[in-house]
Order: sequence, then structure tokens, then C-alpha cells
Amino acid sequence: MHGRLKVRTSAEEAARKKKEQEIKVKTYRAGMGRIFEKRKNGQLDDEMMQITGQILSRNPDVYTLWNIRKECILKMAESLGNEAKQSLYDKDLGFTEQCLMVNPKSYGAWHHRCWILENCPTPDWEREVALCNKYLKLDERNFHCWDYRRFVVKKAKVPAEDELKYCTEKIHKNFSNYSSWHYRSKLLPLLFPHETSPARPISESKLKEELEMVLTAAFTDPNDSSAWFYQRWLLGYSQPALDIAAIRISKNLAIASFSKPIDLRTCEIETNFGFNFNPDRWQPVQKGNKYDVAWIVEDSFELGASDLQQYIFKCRMSDGKDYAINLKKCSDGFYGMKCPKFEYEFGAAVIEELKNQLESCNQLLEYEPDSKWTLLTASLLMRAIDRRGYHTKSLEYLQKLEKIDYLRQGYYADLASKWAIEKVLEEWIEQGDLTVAIDLSNLNLATIFYEQYMSIAKIVILRNNCLSDRTATKFNAFQFCENLDASYNQFSTPGVIPHIPNLKVLSLEGNKFSNNATTRLEDQMKNL
Amino acid sequence: MAFIVNDVDISAAEPKELLFDKHVEYIANHGNDQNDFEYCMTEFLRMSGIYWGVTALDLMQQLEKLDRKSIVEFIKKCQCPTSGGVAACEGHDPHMLYTLSAVQILCIYDCLDQIDVAGVARYVASLQQPDGSFFGDKWGEVDTRFSFCAVAILTLINKLDVINVPKAVEFVMSCCNADGGFGSKPNAESHAGLIYCCVGFLSITNQLHRLDCEKLAWWLCERQLPSGGLNGRPEKLPDVCYSWWVLASLTIMGRLHWISSDKLKVFILSCQDTDTGGFSDRTGNLPDIFHTLFGLGALSLLGHDKLLKVNPTFCMPQYVLDKLKINTQIISV
Ligand SMILES: [Zn+2]
Repeated sequence: MHGRLKVRTSAEEAARKKKEQEIKVKTYRAGMGRIFEKRKNGQLDDEMMQITGQILSRNPDVYTLWNIRKECILKMAESLGNEAKQSLYDKDLGFTEQCLMVNPKSYGAWHHRCWILENCPTPDWEREVALCNKYLKLDERNFHCWDYRRFVVKKAKVPAEDELKYCTEKIHKNFSNYSSWHYRSKLLPLLFPHETSPARPISESKLKEELEMVLTAAFTDPNDSSAWFYQRWLLGYSQPALDIAAIRISKNLAIASFSKPIDLRTCEIETNFGFNFNPDRWQPVQKGNKYDVAWIVEDSFELGASDLQQYIFKCRMSDGKDYAINLKKCSDGFYGMKCPKFEYEFGAAVIEELKNQLESCNQLLEYEPDSKWTLLTASLLMRAIDRRGYHTKSLEYLQKLEKIDYLRQGYYADLASKWAIEKVLEEWIEQGDLTVAIDLSNLNLATIFYEQYMSIAKIVILRNNCLSDRTATKFNAFQFCENLDASYNQFSTPGVIPHIPNLKVLSLEGNKFSNNATTRLEDQMKNL
Repeated sequence: MAFIVNDVDISAAEPKELLFDKHVEYIANHGNDQNDFEYCMTEFLRMSGIYWGVTALDLMQQLEKLDRKSIVEFIKKCQCPTSGGVAACEGHDPHMLYTLSAVQILCIYDCLDQIDVAGVARYVASLQQPDGSFFGDKWGEVDTRFSFCAVAILTLINKLDVINVPKAVEFVMSCCNADGGFGSKPNAESHAGLIYCCVGFLSITNQLHRLDCEKLAWWLCERQLPSGGLNGRPEKLPDVCYSWWVLASLTIMGRLHWISSDKLKVFILSCQDTDTGGFSDRTGNLPDIFHTLFGLGALSLLGHDKLLKVNPTFCMPQYVLDKLKINTQIISV
């Protein structure tokens, strides 16, 4: 069903082809009829091997025939000694190879080969590794063969070092080989684990080497994406690790939010100031979620009774680890927040290399100012080197990418929103005063990230951005918000803004609501 | 050596509108000639072929064009009385892939009770392995496709409790790669088809929070080529069926807006066959029923007004899942 060109043929040619196909259909039907009849009669013999073989060598996808061959082999092998048994299996190995020559992407043929080797008396795993070498030479992207290689390499006990060497050779032969880069990303963490942090994929010294290698590859042809993907993996962009994000407890409401969605009802919470939380009473801010980034309890909390040096909120999560946060006391309860880690922090040697790479990218951009991958990588390098220092410049690159790589405009807009929010959020968390507004106005935001960190804020200003209906559910996290300014955005559906219990002021002017809707919104606001 | 992007050119002569009636005709006539070469040679996937046709016609609200009774009879004959699994065709062996297709068809026809549903559940449960993975059939091929089939089948027949779901989730997550994508088994390279299976699996089991959506959705949006078409892996040609695998995954992750819908629409419409109806994998190739469903499915995800809404996880009309009260998780961004 893939890659068959539609060709216009003469009536004569078409008629000839039809004749040919009629014969093929007849032969196929006759063969299948005979096979099913023999199977019914339990005749799992040489003739069966022969007829199934004839059909499979033309059409290896007829999965039932592979099953029948397995039944035949098992039956025939029963009466044979080890040597004869092995030669029976070997013969069928030869047959699968024939089929793979015709169709190297046949699931049935590849699996049949695995089955033979796992069932025969003396499998020759080294020969199979050699076979993979041969097939990968013909097609270096054949994922069936790569999977098969990983299977036989394990059986043949080939050391990971040797596989890495093979991988390196393959990459040097052709940089545009995503399959090899992928395998590399699997082998390196085994061979060069990070010195201290298991969350980081590879050691700092190896990282430096890899960065050098991948840049050479990427610059050989800046339009080829394989190496750039690998580079991005090395730079370690990823989700933040699991941790507490923010806590706030007031007279009648408590919120606990986390860097990632969790099921708080399965966690154990402990405080040193006498507050007990019944796990069953936690509710996700987004109704119906089993996993959520923010959770609330409506209850009455006795505040102000205790006077301690430290107020500690501890949560034992499903990974069995304890996560703790120190809370501060404020006029109406307790609160605490943790700044998320936005990027990995690299050692001096790696940073030096990253700076060199940024330099090289910028040089390339002088000649090819619209090179997409160079622009993207340069902006990521800047963030890895000095996120704050390069803030404006890295966003500028994303804006440029929105134009030159317009297919993915929505992606760059979301990424730029994320970076813009990170900067504001970091500064807000550092200043530490809850009553100060989180001011996210005029940032071209297309969506909201890190809403769980804003869940304890009193004032959130989102004025003059590009937020639309799809983002409105994020407002569910703003449980302590009293003043929300979402004016001059692109919201259009009345009622899309969720109910926020503490809200006193909601500004929505300058959105895309119809007149009718605006009246209804005003009514809604009167009821606040 | 200059790098050449693997892509296609779409000429101005290619169709720009949905050839609705042509496709209805193409699917309705499919299999009318039992001696047709293509039809005969694809016997080994007949059950899926019927599912593709039934779903496509239902999305076009033309389901009555097929003979419900004979299809249901056919399915009944394909269920193995011993194992409970369903085969692609009479005489062939039961397999997870065709068991899913059969269950999907019966859900659309609202007549699950026509087969031994308990047998189906027993069959699926029998194929789960201690590591949580699933065999495709008793011969032992392991693939994340079968993990998807297993939870999809069991959810449709409301029997998800017969397997160890946490173990199944653990196995699928062990197939996650550095690029955020998924392969067919642990350490296997990411591939859009398998990503769809794993993302769909996680949306059925309510475990989408385990995904690194930003990383994965970025990799997926990079599948869009200048022609507007989507490929399944880096440096590969675009193909209509990837419009489905990639688009459905992005929809589940709430990031459909990370690719250009307009350009994709142009590519999909260019793959229609103006003579016979039906969609091919790429502009200028021969059409088939598989690409016809996935072309229509993708257009439905893009909000085409002549098509019913499709569910991105099950690739079935949304109203069918609503009727069965099946909710699939979707992330909003
Ligand atoms: Zn395809």
C-alpha cells in the first residue's frame, strides 16, 4: 500500500496485466486452499513447507503462513536428533533471508527469524550480527533490522563499547542517520553515566566530546535535522524534576502545587505545626483530573496558634521520596514557594565549549541568516550559557523563527511564552512578597506555563497578550487570586474563564467576546 | 554533498476540494469484485480493511452503503471459539490486531453482543506478559502496537480490569526515548505510528501526565515538510497515514496548533484519486482503503465540515464513544 506509483497504461497493456493477475489470484487461491486442507488433516509435512514457502516468498505478510511453518517445524523436529534438528531450523533461516531480500520490512519474516533462533538447539548469534551489518549497509534506517540487531547483540553478548564503535562508524559514513544517533543516545548513558546526578544523561567530560562531534556533523549540512535533534538532547532540555512548587494555607483554604501532575490523594503529608491533612479531602483544581499540578482543601484551619522557628511542610510522594518546603507566616496564614530549575547547570569546561559553539553558530548566521536549525540551536545555547543575560536576544531568535519556519509558528510562540514567563516568575519568587502582583502584561503570551507557581498569588496581570480560549483552563490554578487582569487578549467564548473562589476583580475588556456575551460577562462579574 | 529534503511537489492540478461522492463510491465498491487482485492479496488483513471502510463511511454519514448483516456474520465466523481471539479472515489465525478491528466494527454497529465478548477479554488477558507487554498472538511477537490494541479492545468492551494495567503502563513507558517519542519495544527508535499507539495507550489508561509533551510534540511538529505533508521519522517522505498518527497524537496532547493545518490540508487533498476516489499515501500514487480512512480521519481532526468528528485515540466517530460513555484523556495547553 506504500509507494506504488499510478501509471497510465494502454488498454492493451492493462488487459495483459489483468490476465497476469488473474493467474496469480488463481494460483494463490489454489495454494491457500491446499494449505488449509492439509492443516485440517494435520499434514504438517515437507509439502506444507513448500506451498507456504511459495506464497510467502511473494507475499511475506500472510501472517498465518508463518504460524503454519512454525507448527511444521515443531512437529518435524520432534523425531529428529540435535544435528538434524539444527539443519531443519537453518534451512528455514535461509528461507527468511530470501523473503527479507524481497521485503526487508516484513514484520512476519523478522519475527520468524527471532523465533527460529530462540527455538533451535544451537543458535549462531555472531552470524546474525553479521547479517545485520549486511542489511544495515543496504538500508541504514531500517528499524526492523536495528531492533533485530539489538536483540541478537544482547544474545551474542557483544559489549556496548563495540556497538558504540559501530554506531560512530555509521555516523561518520553519513551524518544524516537518525537511527544511529538514536542508538548512540541509548549506549552513551550506559557507558558514561553522569558523575553525580542520575537525572543527567551523560558525564560532563563525555558531554564535551559529544558536543564537539555533533557540531561538526550539524555544520556539514545545516539543513539536515538528525544531528540537531541529538544536539538538543545533549543540551538537556526537559521537564523540571518532581518537587513541591508552592504551598499556601489560609483560614478556609489550602493549596499545594507541584512541578508535575501528581495524585495527591496517594501522598502522605506531614507538618511540624500541627496541621493534619486527610488525603481524601484534596481536590484537583481541574475538576475530574486524577493527576494534577495543583490541589486544594476547603477546611477551617487554626492559624496563629503556634510560634515556631521553622514551619515545615513535607510530602511523601508515590516515588517513596520525601519533598519538603519551609513555609513563611503571613497575616492570613502560611505560604512557601520554590523556584523551578529551568535548565541544567553545566561545569566550566562544558560552558566553554558551549560558548565556542555559540560563536560558530553566530558566524554561520552571518552567511546564512535564515538557517533555521542554527537559529534555534543558537537560542538554546544562549539559554544554557547565561539565561538571564541573553534573554532578549534568545527571544529575538524565536521571533525570527516564527517567520522563517512558519509551519511551526505555533510552537515557537508557545516556547517564547514559556521563556518570557520564566523570567517574570523567577523575579517574582525571588522578591518573595505575595501581595506584589505577578506582572505578565505585554509579553505576547500565546499560552500560560508554570501556572502552579502562580497559584498562591493575589494579583495576576495578563493584560495585552495573545491568550485564547484554549488557555483558560489554566486559570483554575489561580485559587488565591483576588485580582485577575486578562484584558486585551483573544478570549472569545463567554463562560470560558473558570470560577475562581477568591476573585474580587476580573478585567476582560478588549477581548473578542460578542456584544451579547459582554453583557452576560458583566452580569457574571457583578455576582463575584 | 548538499542535503536534499525528502519531500514531494504538489502541482496546481491536484484536487483542492474533498471529492466526497467519489470516496463514498470507492469504499462502497471495495470488494465487490472478489477476484480483484489487490483485494485477494490483502485477504490477510481483511478485518482491518473492513474497519477502515466502515469507519470512513460512518464519518461521511454513509454507513448504510455497506451491508451490515454480512459484515457481522463475517466477524462471527472469524472469532476462534477456543482462544476467543479474532482472525483477519476465515481460515486465518486469531491476532490482537484483527481482534481490535472486529471490536471497533461491532461498536460502530452497536452489536457487541454478536460475538463472545468474554472470550475476547480472555484472549487479550492471555497475551499479557510478566513485564506488562503484550504478544500479538501466541507466537510471541512483542510490540507497543499490541499494548495499544489490548487496552483499546478492553475499554471498548468494558473489561479493562482483566489485565494488569500498572504493569502495562510500566512497559509502555520503558519504550520512551531521549527524543520523547516511543518505539516498538524498549530501545527501539521513535516512530510516529508507535508514538500514536503509546500516546493513545496513555490517554486510554489516564496516564498522559507521564509524557514529556513539549519534547515529544516538538519532535512531532518537525514531521511537517515544506509540502505540508507529515512523515513518520526524520528524513523520510511524507505520507497520508502519518497525517493521522502525528495529528491524532498532537491533538491528544493539545498541540494541534504546532503545525500548519492549512498546509497539511493541501497535502492530504492532493492525495485523492480523481478517477476512482480514495486516498493514496502520496500525491500521484495508487489509492487504498487504509489511506482513505486516515486521510478522512485527519481532515476530521482538522475540522472539515462535511465529516463527523473523529475521536483521536480510537479513530472512530466520536458519537460512538459518547454512546458507550468512554472518555479518553486529552491535554489542554
Ligand atoms: Zn502510509
